Amino acid sequence: MDDMRFIDLQTHTAHQNMAIDESIMLALERGSVPPTLRLYRWKPSAVSIGTFQGMRQEVDVDFCRSKKIDVVRRITGGGAVYHDYEGDITYSIILPKGHPLALDDIPSSYERLCQGLVMGFQELGIESQFVPINDILAGGKKLSGNAQTRRHECLLQHGTVLVDLDVQMMFSILKVHPEKISDKLVTDVKQRVTSVRDLLGTRVPMEQVRDALKSGFTKALGVNLVPGKLTARERLTAVRLVRQKYSTDAWNFLR
Amino acid sequence: MTEAAMKVPGGKMVRVSLDSADSKIRKVVITGDFFLHPEELIQELETQLQGHQIDRSQLTSTIEEFLRRNNATLIGASAADLASVIVSAYSR
Repeated sequence: MDDMRFIDLQTHTAHQNMAIDESIMLALERGSVPPTLRLYRWKPSAVSIGTFQGMRQEVDVDFCRSKKIDVVRRITGGGAVYHDYEGDITYSIILPKGHPLALDDIPSSYERLCQGLVMGFQELGIESQFVPINDILAGGKKLSGNAQTRRHECLLQHGTVLVDLDVQMMFSILKVHPEKISDKLVTDVKQRVTSVRDLLGTRVPMEQVRDALKSGFTKALGVNLVPGKLTARERLTAVRLVRQKYSTDAWNFLR
Repeated sequence: MTEAAMKVPGGKMVRVSLDSADSKIRKVVITGDFFLHPEELIQELETQLQGHQIDRSQLTSTIEEFLRRNNATLIGASAADLASVIVSAYSR
């Protein structure tokens, strides 16, 4: 089994979380850290949007400000996601280019890496399926969304696990557009997403989800997760990236 | 600016904000939840489309050529989809 640094469940702000992802990529590019899996939560609760999205098109920014919900633009494509502190665990996996798990074909690489989640969900007693391009569904509803970028000679894939879902809040924050709904022939958007809690009928502690994901990634990806931390340099780089990029309007309101 | 949007069947949302004159693009902004690798190419594409005739098949060719030349991967939408939404925005 290949070793992978495992940065266990930590809580950061939205800007910090995105900065840490990029900081790890830069460190991996320098060759100073191993491939890494990290699990994290977002506090305050936050919205992240895909790199090609328009912030104001997708998010009710005034509502977020009034509720002290952070907003951040990711470096990955994909859609707008509400990360509820009480209901979301996010993972990031960072691999060097050429790593056996970093398949050249992007659609295939989503499927490969998402097996970690499918296996993790199975450990919780949930049957789920990877559905192209980048979703994991259970009972036909979305349980996890994932997004990937390739830069700095690495691959970053990150994605959400919906542990619990505050549907009201999600749909107050996200501007859901009629076109997206009508394509799926579903009139009630609440039918399209689900959560671990919904599926199991009970609230599952974050630590239990964490354990299941750890086990799922280990088995599905054939890696040995070695507990580790960010290096001092990674932490410094993350602080700089928060200040210069992820907390700025120039970045977050770029489009 | 005029706007149009389309959900690509089995794919993602593409939205266009368009500023046009004389059936040519003056400025175009393409947003959505698709994926484009490398990501920086979106700005280059938008710049390259300035002054382009708003014609579905010409736009499709130009965008396809742009993607090919840059070894780019567009996921969740095709060059034809982007062209389609630009044309829709023009027709508003």
